Amino acid sequence: MTARRGPGVAGVSAVGKVDLSIELPRGLRLDNPILVASGTFGYGIEYRDVVDIQLLGAIFCKGTTLHPRVGNITPRVTETPAGMLNSIGLQNPGVDAVVRKYGPTWQGWHVPVIVNVAGESIEDYVEVASRLDSVPGVAGIELNISCPNVGKGGLQFAIDAEAAGAVTAAVRKVTDLPLLVKLSPNVADVRPIARAIEAAGADAITAINTLSGIAIGPGRRRPLLGNVYGGLSGPAIKPVALRIVYEVAQVVDIPIIAIGGVASLGDVLDFMAVGAIAVQVGTVLFADPTLPVRLVDELTDECRRLGLDSYLPLVGTALPRRSSALAAPSSKGVEYRP
Amino acid sequence: MQLVAAELVESREILPGQWLQAFHAPALTVGARAGQFVHIRPGDFSGLILRRPFSFNTVDRASGIITIHYRAVGRGTDWFTRLRPGDQVDMLGPLGQPFEVDPRSRHLLLVAGGLGMAGVRMLVDDALRAGREVTLLFGAASATEVYPSSLLPDEVEYIVATDDGSLGHAGYVTELVPTYEGWADQAFACGPAPMLAALARLAAGRNARLGVASLGRKPGRGSRRSGRAAATAEPGTAAARRKSFLQISMEQNMGCAVGACLGCVVMDTQGVPQRVCREGPVFASDELDWEAGW
Repeated sequence: MTARRGPGVAGVSAVGKVDLSIELPRGLRLDNPILVASGTFGYGIEYRDVVDIQLLGAIFCKGTTLHPRVGNITPRVTETPAGMLNSIGLQNPGVDAVVRKYGPTWQGWHVPVIVNVAGESIEDYVEVASRLDSVPGVAGIELNISCPNVGKGGLQFAIDAEAAGAVTAAVRKVTDLPLLVKLSPNVADVRPIARAIEAAGADAITAINTLSGIAIGPGRRRPLLGNVYGGLSGPAIKPVALRIVYEVAQVVDIPIIAIGGVASLGDVLDFMAVGAIAVQVGTVLFADPTLPVRLVDELTDECRRLGLDSYLPLVGTALPRRSSALAAPSSKGVEYRP
Repeated sequence: MQLVAAELVESREILPGQWLQAFHAPALTVGARAGQFVHIRPGDFSGLILRRPFSFNTVDRASGIITIHYRAVGRGTDWFTRLRPGDQVDMLGPLGQPFEVDPRSRHLLLVAGGLGMAGVRMLVDDALRAGREVTLLFGAASATEVYPSSLLPDEVEYIVATDDGSLGHAGYVTELVPTYEGWADQAFACGPAPMLAALARLAAGRNARLGVASLGRKPGRGSRRSGRAAATAEPGTAAARRKSFLQISMEQNMGCAVGACLGCVVMDTQGVPQRVCREGPVFASDELDWEAGW
C-alpha cells in the first residue's frame, strides 16, 4: 500500500521525449496538467516537507477575500463515504495580508500560484482582483463564484448565468491575469452558466466546486457541521464532476480544468477523455500528499506507453463528435436528473 | 514532518473497545515530543478518505517503537483494530506543537479524562526521565474504563476519579485538582471539552487563590518583563505555552493535519481561529476563548 511512496518517486522522469507542458490563454504556462485544488493545499507552504511542490503543474491557493474572515463555527469537516464534507467558511486573512505574507515566497517559485478569489458582491471580487493584478508571484486568478451575492438576496453567483457572467466580466475589466472561473455543480443545468462565463471573457473554466450536503451529529439531535451545510468532495463526487465536464466541454471553447475526486491516473485520464485539459487534485491529498507528483510520473509513463509525446491526444476522446455538438445543446440529459 | 511506512508490531485491546498499538517507525521517534501527533492513513480508499490523528502515546527511541491508544468508535478506528503484526501503515508526523515544560518546574500535575490519557501519556515518561515528580489525575465514567496502572511507570502518583464512584474518587477528576494545584509548578491536560474548560477556569483563578504568581515569580519583581513577554508571545509559540500554568491538548475533527485545510480550528482570546494541527494541539489555557463555543 505504501511501497511506492518515499524517495525515488517524486521526480519527473527525464528519460524519453514526453512533454506534459501546456500553454493556457494569456501566457499561463504549466509544466504539466496535474494541479492542486484551492482549499486543500493552503498557500503552498504547508506540505513543503513531504512534497516537492515545484513538480506540480500549478498551485491554487486558499480562497481569498477582500477582508479577513474568521470562517465558520466548528465542526468544520467530517468524513463521508469516499469523501468529506467541509464548511470552512472561507477563513483567510484577507487579500492584502495574503499578498504581503506569501507574495514574495511565490515569486521565488517555479510553480505558478493561482489565487482563488471569493466575495459577497461584484465590487468585492473586482477589488480583490485589482489588488492581485500586478503582484509578482501571482500567476492567475480563479473565481470562486459559489458565494452568496449579499446584495441580491444571497443568491449564489454560480447558479445564475447572468450573475456569473456579470462577475466574470467585471473582474475581466480590471485584470490582465489569466482568469479562471469555478463552476458550482449545485445547479439544474450548468451549460448556460458556462457559456455566460466564456462570453464574459474568462480564459478557462474549472469544474467542479463541492456539492452541497449535510451530515447528522452524534445522538441525531442536529446536523453535525457547525454551519449545518457543507461541501461534499472526494472520490464520491467524481461521477458528477465527469458529467459536468462532459456537458461543459460540448458548449464552450475555452479550456476546462477538472476537479472532483481525482485519486488515480485512471481518474486523470477519465477527466481528460471528457474534455479536461488539466485536473486539480484536492481532497485525496489529505490522505496521500504525494499523489500529485506521482500522477505526473504516471501520466508521463502512460504517454510513453501509448507512443505519444504529449497528452493532448487523450483530451476529449469520449466526447460526442464535434459536428453534433455544433447543433443546439441537447436537453436529453435533463430527464435523467432529479 | 515526514511520511513513513510504519509496521505494526503489537496490537491489543487494553480496555473494552480501547486499543493500544505499537508501530516500528524509527524515523518518527527521533524528533517526536510529548503532545505531538501522527496522522495515519487507513485503508486504501475503501470509502475511508481521511487520515486519523493519534497522539504519541509513548515513544521509545532505542527500539524505534511508537504507540497509539484509541477507542474504536467508527469505521476508521475499526479498520485500525483489524491490523495484524507485520501490516504496514502510512504515517505522517511528527505534527503539531508539543507540551513545554519550564526547566524550573519540579512538580507536574497531569490531568486526563478518558482517552485524553493518550494525550499526556508520553509526558509522564519524559518528565520522570528528567527527574521531575508527576501526579496524574485520571477521570473516567466507571472502573471498567480506568486506564490500567500496570501500563504506567511506578514512579508516577496515579489518582483516579470515576463518575459513578466505582473506583477512586466519586465524581469529576477536576474536583481533585484544588488538592494539588498548590504543589504543582505546571499542569498539563487532555480530555473532553467540558473538562478542559473547567480546568481552564480553575487555572485562571489559581494565582488569586494561592496568592502566588505562576512559576514562583514574585509579584512585582520580574512581572513587567514576564507581562510583556506574555503579551508578545504569539499563540502557538513555545514561549506562550511555557509561561502558562496550564497547557491543554485540544481535539477537533481534522482534515489535512498540516495546516492547509483550516478544518480543525479553535478560537483564541483575540478572536483569531488557531489551527489545532499547527498552532496546537497543545495550547496555553489562557490563549483560548473557552466561551466561544468552538
